[in-house]
Amino acid sequence: MSERPFIIRISSLSKHYTMGDQLVKALDKIDLDFRENDYAAIMGPSGSGKSTLMNILGCLDTPTAGRYELNGQNVAEMDDDELARVRNREIGFVFQTFNLLPRLDCLRNVELPLIYAGVSPEERLERSRKALEEVGLGDRIDHKPGELSGGQTQRVAIARALVNHPSIILADEPTGNLDTATSRDIMDIFGRLSDAGNTIILITHEEEIARFTRRIIRLRDGRIESDSAP
Amino acid sequence: MTLSIRETVMQAATSLAVNKLRSALTTLGVAVGVFSIIAVMTALDAVDRSIATGLSSLGANTFQIQKNPATVFGGGHNRNLYANRKDITWQEAQLFKKYMEERARNIGFIITSQAAQASYGNEITNPDVTLTGGDESFAPANGLDVIAGRNLNDGDLRYASDTAILGSDVAAYLFQQGQNPVGKQIRVNGKVYTVIGVFSKKGAAFGQSQDNFVLIPITRYLDEVNETSSISITVEATSQKSYRQTIDRAIGAMRLARGLTVKKANDFEIRTNESLVESFRDIQNIVGTGAFIISFMALLTAGVGIMNIMLVSVTERTREIGVRMSVGAPRRTILEQFLVEALLLSLGGGALGIVAGAGAGNLVALQFNLPVILPWVWIVVSLLVCSVIGISFGLFPAWKASRLDPVTALRAAR
Repeated sequence: MSERPFIIRISSLSKHYTMGDQLVKALDKIDLDFRENDYAAIMGPSGSGKSTLMNILGCLDTPTAGRYELNGQNVAEMDDDELARVRNREIGFVFQTFNLLPRLDCLRNVELPLIYAGVSPEERLERSRKALEEVGLGDRIDHKPGELSGGQTQRVAIARALVNHPSIILADEPTGNLDTATSRDIMDIFGRLSDAGNTIILITHEEEIARFTRRIIRLRDGRIESDSAP
Repeated sequence: MTLSIRETVMQAATSLAVNKLRSALTTLGVAVGVFSIIAVMTALDAVDRSIATGLSSLGANTFQIQKNPATVFGGGHNRNLYANRKDITWQEAQLFKKYMEERARNIGFIITSQAAQASYGNEITNPDVTLTGGDESFAPANGLDVIAGRNLNDGDLRYASDTAILGSDVAAYLFQQGQNPVGKQIRVNGKVYTVIGVFSKKGAAFGQSQDNFVLIPITRYLDEVNETSSISITVEATSQKSYRQTIDRAIGAMRLARGLTVKKANDFEIRTNESLVESFRDIQNIVGTGAFIISFMALLTAGVGIMNIMLVSVTERTREIGVRMSVGAPRRTILEQFLVEALLLSLGGGALGIVAGAGAGNLVALQFNLPVILPWVWIVVSLLVCSVIGISFGLFPAWKASRLDPVTALRAAR
């Protein structure tokens, strides 16, 4: 298994900021690697730094120190435009609150990353439709997010994360707003995506959800407490 | 990497369509500004074209001497200057004619009063007939023919006879089809006149009929109409070549007739077709400048409105901006998107204003029976100004949107 190439290599990564007159070490000298086709859960109590790690992994935020290599590129030194490009090409986000644009229908939501990737309208349509079919929503493409159930909405968000074939899928509490049965459906989809070769990192505080993955990383006070199979 | 223009415009249009009322109201501000300039410019253009024909009211090689210019601009000093001028009297007019000797083909005298009422039997006109005192040269000087009966002659003038020639509108109003007005007795302001002729039709200028008048001998007019008013002298030069010379001669003759010493300035005006057009151009410039200033103010206000709405929009859509950034929208693309939205608002308003303004302006053109007029220059100027307004007032909100931190934006309340 360890022959799989590295996708993410993080070494001595820190994110410090001051809140009032207090120095907060959201992440403190973390070393962490992910290989292709990893399926990992990041766990930890609130304030443990897992959201900060997620934002840095997703190139939404930059570390204050350390090295973050994504597919061999040092992301920590990238400027805004390069980070936008990486978010577009390498990363697919799934959020707890779905974060779909409410006035666009499913198809338009899913094609959003492709628009910024400069893909032609015909190809966008084709690929977005396919992504929606992959998550079992091929018949809902012209629905607006408001017309869908929570589970369906999250599946649209997953389709959006998939559509540009990213290197990693980052899911931030993807089942946090869903009931148990629906959560299971969503985790089934992640399981299938993992089986298909995708690299998936998700953040959760639910043990049952984390058990669907193959690797659990526990954070506490900005440091890694444990990193093991469930 | 940035989006294609089409893509950006589509996205912007979709966003604007979400808040239809808000977008429409914002657009309205721009529309009002553009409307005023386009409407005024179209109307002025219409009047301008009508002038080309209508204002050439004087016949060929003909000019007029009057107490005052056609229009007076400027402050009190100018107004007083003209107000203090003496009327041109019959004696002065006669002296003028004498001094001109035979240098002109024709010299005519006219004096007019508005708001007369003519009647024949039971037919009574509105009290808006122009009563004109004149002589036999009135017809040629005004480009009119006597189509029935005869023109005034020396005898009518000498004896101040109670004769009248009708403008074609008055003739048509008082006399049924087929009835010959010549020889009939009509009343104008209660006084009886015998109709000796009818003039050909001249048509309208400035939307006003030029045929709604009754001509009587000027001598009769001076006897009978108790209004002190100034005589206009119409001079027809012998040829196009001698036109300028004749004007110079006339100025000299008039100074003499008015008894002006060398040091005194002319206390009368020479009106030519060109001077009429010129004085209209003055009006055009003043009205045009006024409209431009008003439009500019309105557009500035509209620009502030656009900025306001765009700032609200950026705040409302903070989450959307975060989402777009998370899927890879570069800051520049976000900036472009909001900028294009502002631009669409202002250009949409501009287009609306142009359509409404050209429509309103062409109502004026309709009055002059002119074909549809499109003030292309002003349309282009308006669109350019709208673009500048949209971009300059949209820039700050768009910049604000593009500078949002993605993490914070994603956390914003929807």
